[in-house]
Formats: sequence, structure tokens, C-alpha cells
Amino acid sequence: MITIEELRTCIRNGMDFVKRQKDVIDAEIFASWNEHITVRLNYTSDIPCNGVHEPKSTQMNGISLWVVFRAGKGIKVGFGSVSNTISQKGIREAFRKARKNRIYDPDFKSFPLPAGKPTLENYHDPAAMEMSDETIVDLGWKGLKGALAEFNKGHFNKSIIVGGDITIIKERVAIANTHGIDDFDESTILMTNITSMIEKERVKGTGWTTSTHMSSFNPEEAGKESAESAIKTIGGGRISSGTYNVIFGRQPLTDLFTNIIIPALSLSTVNVSDTPFLKKLGQRVTSDLLNVYDDGTIKGAAGSKRISCEGIPTGRTNLIYNGFLVGFLANNYLSQKLENVFTSFIPRNGFRYYKDGRSHTIQPRICPTNIVIEGKDEIDRQSLFSKIHNGVYIGRIWYTYPINGLAAGDFTSTIIADSYLVEKGKIVKPLQPNTIRINSNIKDILNNIIAISKDKKQTIVWGGEEIVLAPEMAVQGVKLDNISGFTP
Amino acid sequence: MIRRIPIASRIKIALIDALQETVTKVIQQTGSLHNCKYADIRIGINEMKHASAEDGKAKGAGEDASISFGIRMLAGEMTAWGYYGQELGEAESTPKSIHKKLTLGMHTAYARAVTNAKKKAEFQSLAPSLREVNLAKIDICNDTIHATFDEDPRNAPLKDIITLCTTTSQDMRSISKDVHYTYAHVQTGINRELFCSTEGACIDQSYALTQGVVSVVAQKAGGIPEICYDYVGDLRGWEVLKDKNVYQQSFDEFALLRTRETVELIDAEFLSATDEPVIVVTNPHFNALLVHEIVGHPTEADRALKLETAYAGRSWLFWDFDDNELEKQIASPLLTAYSDPSIHGYGHYKYDMEGTPGKRVNLIENGIFKGFMNGREQAAILNQPPNGSMRATESYYVPLVRMTNTVFANGNTPPSEIIAEVRDGYYIVNHRIPSISESRENFRISSQRVYKIENGQTTTLYRQGGITADSKDFLMNIDAIGNDFEVFPVPHCGKGQPMQIMRVGNGSPTLRSKARLTGH
Repeated sequence: MITIEELRTCIRNGMDFVKRQKDVIDAEIFASWNEHITVRLNYTSDIPCNGVHEPKSTQMNGISLWVVFRAGKGIKVGFGSVSNTISQKGIREAFRKARKNRIYDPDFKSFPLPAGKPTLENYHDPAAMEMSDETIVDLGWKGLKGALAEFNKGHFNKSIIVGGDITIIKERVAIANTHGIDDFDESTILMTNITSMIEKERVKGTGWTTSTHMSSFNPEEAGKESAESAIKTIGGGRISSGTYNVIFGRQPLTDLFTNIIIPALSLSTVNVSDTPFLKKLGQRVTSDLLNVYDDGTIKGAAGSKRISCEGIPTGRTNLIYNGFLVGFLANNYLSQKLENVFTSFIPRNGFRYYKDGRSHTIQPRICPTNIVIEGKDEIDRQSLFSKIHNGVYIGRIWYTYPINGLAAGDFTSTIIADSYLVEKGKIVKPLQPNTIRINSNIKDILNNIIAISKDKKQTIVWGGEEIVLAPEMAVQGVKLDNISGFTP
Repeated sequence: MIRRIPIASRIKIALIDALQETVTKVIQQTGSLHNCKYADIRIGINEMKHASAEDGKAKGAGEDASISFGIRMLAGEMTAWGYYGQELGEAESTPKSIHKKLTLGMHTAYARAVTNAKKKAEFQSLAPSLREVNLAKIDICNDTIHATFDEDPRNAPLKDIITLCTTTSQDMRSISKDVHYTYAHVQTGINRELFCSTEGACIDQSYALTQGVVSVVAQKAGGIPEICYDYVGDLRGWEVLKDKNVYQQSFDEFALLRTRETVELIDAEFLSATDEPVIVVTNPHFNALLVHEIVGHPTEADRALKLETAYAGRSWLFWDFDDNELEKQIASPLLTAYSDPSIHGYGHYKYDMEGTPGKRVNLIENGIFKGFMNGREQAAILNQPPNGSMRATESYYVPLVRMTNTVFANGNTPPSEIIAEVRDGYYIVNHRIPSISESRENFRISSQRVYKIENGQTTTLYRQGGITADSKDFLMNIDAIGNDFEVFPVPHCGKGQPMQIMRVGNGSPTLRSKARLTGH
């Protein structure tokens, strides 16, 4: 394990080194150490299995240099990285690569300037950083125990599936540039996602928990929640194709934001003209009930960071305010490239998430931190159900994609768990998983919001980078199509 | 005088030659670990050059090599898995330093396996289906496989790769004023991986990879943009970007064709969705994604055994041991599908990452479902012979059951005849984006272009269209199969946790069936 002090020494040595190079105008040095631990669960009551299938981890560390070189009367920029070393030799090698890889990119303007003080300090968990192999394995079995104990309590022993994982991410980074940025960050992220099924009953339930500290991390509770939810949906029915008022629960709302809405609110998609929000800045783009912002400073939220991977302190970036488009997520490169098109955005979201952490092997791209979804007039859960009166509560969706490209806004997805029919503002019957496909357009969803709940929970979906502080959201007129379902 | 050797010169795939002894020694050390039942080590080196450009402007370039390893271990009284993986770097690429890292990794994997096995035994009263891990027997192989290429990717100058990207994206941009954005990315290199196991296997495999990616956005003022994103690639050398690829076009020609098609689409009508199925003729490029989603994924044995329930989903072909589709008709008798790592394409290899020789797996024979792609652990549970379908995207990741070159088999009808027989239908050309239901029993896949078929002729061009159907209905309704079989590169197949993005080959001839249309 490499300490923050060692990473900081590395980047300072690196700055001394690049400043001595005659053809260097500017440089940015990034050093990181990351460990990604996954304990994968797989219990199947009717098929021989391992319970905890595999406790595994991957680790990486290294240095990268992004350098602006003199080239005749102009400049060239080059990026080079080395892995598994933060030594002086490594710095020289990364520099050699940066020089060899240099190109003329007329859109490159400069590295970021220092931008204030970070909000978060010492927000990581030293205990999680030092976690033993025994503890790691034990967390997996705790998650499984939570689900199996709940099934046993209800006398469900056959046709049981429990899957999912416990994931622990440890990240340490340090960054410096020739404009005066010299900072560091250290974070721990703990997540559990468990899916439980009673397959012969065609029911599936989901449970999850996120934390930044071991003391508040409870995989057993996530296991219990998933089994409870599966049991609650026994006896589910089908509905016919049609247009329904729906409540999107926290997981489906997170899925929609992770796969459709947040990518559309990033300068990355503005840059390639592939967003339904192109040229809409300052215009109303959703129901006036909706507020959305990114905030990397929320204490205890698993997506929080002290600084971006460009050394900019994290903060709040408003994206949608009372239905108006007010901002885009930005990194330094694209905020400067597009500054003639937009007022410049504070580039707080330049991160180097790649493979298993904040990777030294890539240049910063745009990634969210904690996405917060709020209502202008938030209401309690019962009032939310009353708002749709008759309709469908959707608890989990899957494989959500912008089927005709992001700019068109069309998306599709299937309802796979935790869902119910609602009549007269009350849950009356579970919905059988895998029998409904949503076919809609994201602009219609956002414009047809009729209410947003007060209560929020940190939520993450498979493959997602951001944590979404997700409420539940009522939307009118959503097109649902009956599909075959998976039955023997 | 001592000549200073740059550190980077150590990271070449040739380093594997010097590491065979080191890896073998570490594997032998596992013999001293109490109750260690099995271990394997994979150590891989990837030498790659890449460049990208947008709108004629260079955006990035690199020439680099990475080295990483992964150790799988089965240990403990009630045998369980433990795993450790790590990236290595230039500073640690001597046999001595790698020996140290491998030994540490081996002890970590062992500690995890032993703890896991102990917990498994404790949990058996609560969870009676817990079992010791059992791996199906395989032939233990020692072999060396060399990369295949006409033009060594390592000899492609980086500046030529940069120039190819900038000129291609510039040429794309200059096709029309309605082109708003163009992107070109090229990578070429060689990956070499050494696999050694406690069973005595030692397999050294190298594969070249060359891939080009293009993206284009075209838009009329005030209209909805039309976006195309497509690939050309193969496990071969630089010749892939000349014309040795499925399209038999140079990278530039391929990029310009996709750009012209995209520009043509912005004047086309939007396709309207239908409530009822219509006759659809789907071309090989579209069917490549179709076979991937509705046949390839559900025939992965780990899905069938529910290991992906929380993530990528289960399989509509396997409910349980008593109730499944094995030996039952799931498709038209005209249809055969198989997965074959011996043919060319992104899924080509000789041995999988458990050291099992890769075999052709017949998935569907004349409409009858025949079996799954598997690894050794799933093969033992299903009581089937292992067929060598385990792969990982990097040496430090755990291998998973993966498609190889998974395809619908060729037919014997010219595609022109298949279209000519249709009085009223639609021609679905080239895949775009999929959305598949949890067990792959239903799909919606969009296409790059859709044409109306009227009286045997393709007529009106539509945009933003696609098809949706229940998988079994679509497969059963196939009534014509073309003789134009091709295998396409599918580079972004996500599976596992942490998610691994794998390259696979998927192919098909033209098919005719029934599905509902989807539109904008």
C-alpha cells in the first residue's frame, strides 16, 4: 500500500524534474494508488454452489505526466504514464513517453488554475484501508446470511437464488501542476448490492447499502431487504400494454439518471452534439418540479471526493433548477474548448475513473460524483401514491439504453423486480418480473413529472459511476408493453 | 562504457520468455500450502499503439505496454475460491521482482480461499446446497501459439497512426456541411499471455489486435441529429485497416461510407412503430448483434446456473435441471447456431484462460437447442465436457464464460431472393443499440437504416427504427436464411462484477422473420 505522503513526494519530485526540462512550458503530474475488492455472492438452493463465489481484488498504482512542449512557434501536448512505480525513474519514464506521444491539439488551452479550498477533510475510513482478508470474506457471508435468514424465517428453502456483491474501493491520489495546484485525496467506498429470488414463485427482490465507513456498513441488512422484497412480491400478475401513471422507485430513477439523463447533462455529449439538451441552456427542459445537481462534498455520501482528478475542489454544480437547464458537468479541457459556446462552467468533474479506481493511465474525463434529485415541492410517500391514483410502482428496471442515440431521447428498459400495481393510491398487487418493457422518450418522462418524494437514499446501479441520492418520482402517461416473461 | 537501457525497453511481449521459469517456480510453491487443491497463474503483456482525432484534429496518441497477473486458488477443507490480481509496471518487470509479487499474490489468494472455505463449512446448515468446488477434467496442454499477422502491428509508426486518424476524421467532416462531428480512433498491437497451473499446464498464447472506430454526427438545422458509431477490426496486424477485414475496405473507405449513410439518413422519414408483427429481413450486420443477445448470452453456462442473476441476467433456456430447453425446439428447423473459437474474428483462440482447448459448441442444430458454452466448474455441475469458453479482458481479472465467435450458420439462399419474395415488409440494415430483457427472452434492437420492401423491392428509407420481439417467436418464425455469412467485430460486451468489457465475434447471414417495428 502506498501512502498519501509517498504520492505527494512523488509529484513534487516530478514537478522539480519537469521544471528543469528546457522544452516544457507547462505540466500536470498525477499519482495514484487504488485497490478494488469484490466479494461476489452466488447461492442457489437447487444447484450446487459456493455461497461466496470468489473474494477477489485488483490493485494498481502509478504516475502520469501531461506535458505542454514548445514546438516551433506553437505547442504540442503529450501524455505518458507508468504503472506500479512512483519512483524518480518512473517520473523520467512517464516524461519520456509524454514527449514521444506529443501531438498538436489546437483545442488544448491550459491546465487548471487553483480554485479555492476543498470542503472535505479526512473523510475516508482508515479501518477500511487496512481491512484484512478475513474481514473481506466475512462481509460476503454476512450479506448472504441476511438474505438466507429472512427466507428461512418465511420457510422458503427451495428455488432460492441470492446473488450480488460486496465491493470496497480504496483510492489515494495526489496531483500538481505548473499553475500552482498541489493537492491530494483519500477515499473509501463500501457498497453492497444483493438480488434475491424465489424462482418458482417468479419473484425477485433487491437490497443495497452504501457507506464510506465500516462502522455504518451493513451488508446483512441489504441481504435481508432483498429477501423481504422478494417475498412481498409473491403472487404477482401481469398487466396489459398501455399508457400508465407510474412511480419510479429509487433504483429505476437511478438507472434512468445513470444511463440517460446524466450523460445528457455532460459537456462530453455536448462536444459531440449527442444530447437532447443541446442549445437548451437557460430554457425549460423538464417539469418545473425538478431540481438536479451534482455535489461531491456531501459528507457520508459514497460519491464524495475532496478534489477532482485535476486538483479542483469538488462542489455543487446545478444542472436543472425548477425545470430550467442551468448547467453541464465539465472538466477543464472541455470547459475551455467550449467556452465560446457556453459561459464557462467550473470544471469540478474531471475524474480519471477507469477500470478499478482513479487511474493514472488516462487523462481526465467527465464523471459525476453524487447526483441529487430534488423536488420543488417534495411530498411524503403516501401522497406520492395518491398523486398517481391508479398505475404502477416500478421498483427495479434493467438494460436501460437510449435506443436511437442519446440526442433523440428514446429509451427502453424492462421491469425486473420490486414492482406493484397501484389502485386508488394504494399498492394492491405485485407485478410479475420480466413481463413489461418500458418504451418511452426521456423528454416525455421529465416533462410529465407530477410529484417527487422527500425521502432519498444513496443508490447505485450496475456499471454506474455515480451515487444518486434518489427519491421516488411520480410520472404520468408512461408507455408500457407486455412481453413474454421467462417461464418454463 | 555501460549503455543505459531505457526502462521501457524491458516491457515487451518477449519478456514472457524469461518469465516461464519464474511462474513455474511460484506454481510449484503452492505444493507447500496446506490443503491447496489447485492454482493457476496468468501473466500477460499487452503492447499497443493508439491514436484518436476529432474533426481532423489529433486528440491523443500513445505507444505503451502493460503487464499484469492474476492468481486463482482453490484451497481449504471445503474447497473454495480465492483470487488476487495486480497490474505490474516497468520498475518491477524483472523475473526476480515478478517472482516476489507473484509469491505475495499467491499467499493473498490462498488466505482468501482458506477463509472462504472455512466460512462455507460453517454455513452448510443454513445453506445445504453449498458444495466443494469441483473442476471438470481436461487434457493438460503445453503449447505456444504465435500471433498471426501479415504486417506486424509493432512496426506501424505512431505518426502514421495519428495521421490516419486526423485525415480520416477530416475526410469524414468534409463530406457535407451537415456533418457536425467526426471521430476516428485506431489501435494496433499484440497481447501475449502465459498460463500455468498446478496440473502441469503451460500455455503461451499471443494474438495481434487491430481496430478502427468511427463516429459521425449529422444534423439538419433544427432537426434531430443522426449518429453512427461503428467498428472495423480483427485479431490480426496492420493489414486489417488496409482491406483485410469483413468489409474488405480500408479504414478511410469504411469511415466515409458510414458518413455518407448518416448524411443520407437526416433527410429520411422517421420509422413508425407497429402494434403487430410484420415481415422483416435482417442483414448480417444486424443479425450479429441479434445472435449475440438472444442466443450467445443465454447459452453461457454461468448465466444458466444463475451466477449472473444480480447483473447480466439469467437464461431463458434453463429454468432448472428438470425444466429447460435442452434438446427441445426453440427455433425454425432452418436455423443452426454455434460458437467457434477456431474461426477468424474477435473470439478466436486456441486455448481459453483455464487452459482448456477451445472447441466449436453447437448451440442450436436445425432449431433444436443443444448446449451451453462453459468453463470447468460449470461443466462439472452440468455434467458436460468442458468446451473452453472462459476468458478475461485483462490478466488480472477473473475469467468468465464468454462468447467466442458466436454465429447463426450460413444458409443457401441469395439475400436478393429473400427480399424479392417479400410483397410487404421491411429490410433492417446494420445494428445499432440493444436492450434485452433479463433472461434474454425478449429484445428491442435499433438499426442504422430501415427500408420498406414493396413487391420484392426495397423502396423508402427510414431512420431511427428497429425491431422488437420475444426471442423464441422471432427464432421460430425464421423462414429464410441467406448465403451471405460474415463475422463482425463486437468490441463492447459487458459482463461480471467488476464489469469486464470483452471483444467477441458475432456473425450471421441474412434472415427473414417477423417482428414489431420500433420507431421514434
